[in-house]
Amino acid sequence: MSEALAASTTRTAPARLGRVLWAALLLAFLAYLPFVLSHRAAFGFRLSNVQLLNLGLSQIDLMLIAMLGALSLNFLTGCAGLISIGHAAFYATGAMTAAITGTLWGWPFPLVLLAAALSGAVTGVLAGLPSLRVRGLYFVLSTLAVHHVVIYVFLQCQLHYFDVSGVPYETAKLGAFALDTPIRWYFFLLAAVALVYWGLGNALRTREGRSMRAMRDHEMAARAAGVDVRVLRLKAFALSSAIASTAGALQAYFMTNISSEAFGLDFAIQFIAMIIIGGLGSLRGSLFGAAIWLLLPSIISGLAPQGGGAMATLVAEHKPQLVQLIFGLMVIGLLIFAPGGMAGLGRSLRVLLFPGARR
Amino acid sequence: MLAQVLFSGVALGSIYGLVALGFAVVFKATDVFNFAQGMLAVCGAYFAATALSVFHLPFAASVLIMALASSALGVLIYVALIQPLSGRSMLAVIMVTIALSIVLRSLIEIIYGPQGRTLVTPLPTGVFTWGTLRISQLHLTAAVVSWICMGLFAAFFRFTSVGLLMRATADGHEAALVSGVNVNLMNRLAWAIGSLLAAVGGLFLGQLQIVSTDLESIGLLALPAVVIGGLQSIPGAVIGGVLVGVIEQLSASYIAPESSDIVIYALLLLILLVRPWGLFGERELGRV
Repeated sequence: MSEALAASTTRTAPARLGRVLWAALLLAFLAYLPFVLSHRAAFGFRLSNVQLLNLGLSQIDLMLIAMLGALSLNFLTGCAGLISIGHAAFYATGAMTAAITGTLWGWPFPLVLLAAALSGAVTGVLAGLPSLRVRGLYFVLSTLAVHHVVIYVFLQCQLHYFDVSGVPYETAKLGAFALDTPIRWYFFLLAAVALVYWGLGNALRTREGRSMRAMRDHEMAARAAGVDVRVLRLKAFALSSAIASTAGALQAYFMTNISSEAFGLDFAIQFIAMIIIGGLGSLRGSLFGAAIWLLLPSIISGLAPQGGGAMATLVAEHKPQLVQLIFGLMVIGLLIFAPGGMAGLGRSLRVLLFPGARR
Repeated sequence: MLAQVLFSGVALGSIYGLVALGFAVVFKATDVFNFAQGMLAVCGAYFAATALSVFHLPFAASVLIMALASSALGVLIYVALIQPLSGRSMLAVIMVTIALSIVLRSLIEIIYGPQGRTLVTPLPTGVFTWGTLRISQLHLTAAVVSWICMGLFAAFFRFTSVGLLMRATADGHEAALVSGVNVNLMNRLAWAIGSLLAAVGGLFLGQLQIVSTDLESIGLLALPAVVIGGLQSIPGAVIGGVLVGVIEQLSASYIAPESSDIVIYALLLLILLVRPWGLFGERELGRV
């Protein structure tokens, strides 16, 4: 991003104009998208389900929440080099904090989000503590253990204060503005994703962000250059898990009811898959990864019946398995043939199309 | 009561130890932390179930087919997925094994349907009493066969020339390469053994419960077992497995049925913080 910024100031006026145009187009598209999806029509023309790729606004909302998780995990794993399979635990922390402060104590929604972020940061620092003693594989395992501990605590808390079916959440309200329709959620979440994307992008450009990437690439060299890697690791953990925890609270409020089973190991693994699909270390890639992971299932189930024949019956009978199969193969294929994920593929495509252009 | 719990703990733990041993062999040889080990156990159970109830083969032939198929699967995984990733980051290798287990699970559920199936084998299923102890013959058989398998592999590594070459390869790839050992062949062999041991464990787990993809989570208990025992130690994996089995049964019967996971993983966390190299591993590995 910083290179892009530096380049944009030195680039010619038409190129800058092009960038502004693209940004305006993107903004217009994002602003108009929810109305297309909720009215099932664009500019007065009715659109069929297939033309809309079988997508609904709620899926887009869930995708935006998942983008928060993917961004924060990519910050931790892709940028700081700390592998964590405990990301579901941070989501669960947020959902649990929201259950206690929001549902039990009746705190207002913005305060609940703040509490979720704080408790997430604390849990993140606790989860990151083993990184002071162990690293590599051992650290990955300690995040796995943390996951099991947090999920168990969530389950006990759920059984103690609520019941087996899950924790209920009230409608989220920002002052007088109730987030009670998918469209309202959409704009709120869009702003949240934009804020986190912009914030993390900036954080990576600060002195600490750069030392963090140095730590990922060569820990010894970073230490020799005077970077306190221990504190930096904990900070990265705190920031990443605060975001993930807020996303967990948002998810809980959006779903209106959530139980501990929602945050299993599969939930944590899906975020790792998202950032691998999108591209490790690329914030923009995490957005793509989350979009693919959340939207592909319904696109498949919407489009497959159009093909007809054996494919349609296979999808009808084994949709979840088929989706998992495709995702699994996709991750394996990308890992072996395109380690940079979608972001890396995009970069090679640009080099291929515009040889000599800025990478 | 205690003796009863200990018996079933040791019996189940022997199966975990077997799966964990396969895991440790693979890890020592190729440095791959195989999250698909639980799924390999499930695959073994399904291979056996297919041979027995689809093709109606006799039990001995079915076990043979299971052994061959799961060894072949192990070699295939190494050649198709692990070799292309050699020299790449740890996350890539870990993630490829996770993705593999996702792929295997969905393939199994597409082919066999999501419901489990029962495994009918001529293994004894009765119960006999010894004092106040009720001993399930199936548990006993599982434990005995597991220990025989572990003994066989220990002897294989200790006394055969191939076992010696495998140990040499695990100790130092370059040194083995320079001495003319076919390192690739040894690694394939390690994956075949790892997958085979998981399959035998899966056969018993499928027999004790029913054969379904949910067995994966039980097979995955090999993970904490290996770490508690010590990642670099083969006997540590076996002892870790037994320990995990005993702890699981103890906490399930004395604390709460659903508490076994948390106790095991809390112990794992404790071990990682206090003694990261495990109970039997060698010091100084991947530590800060």
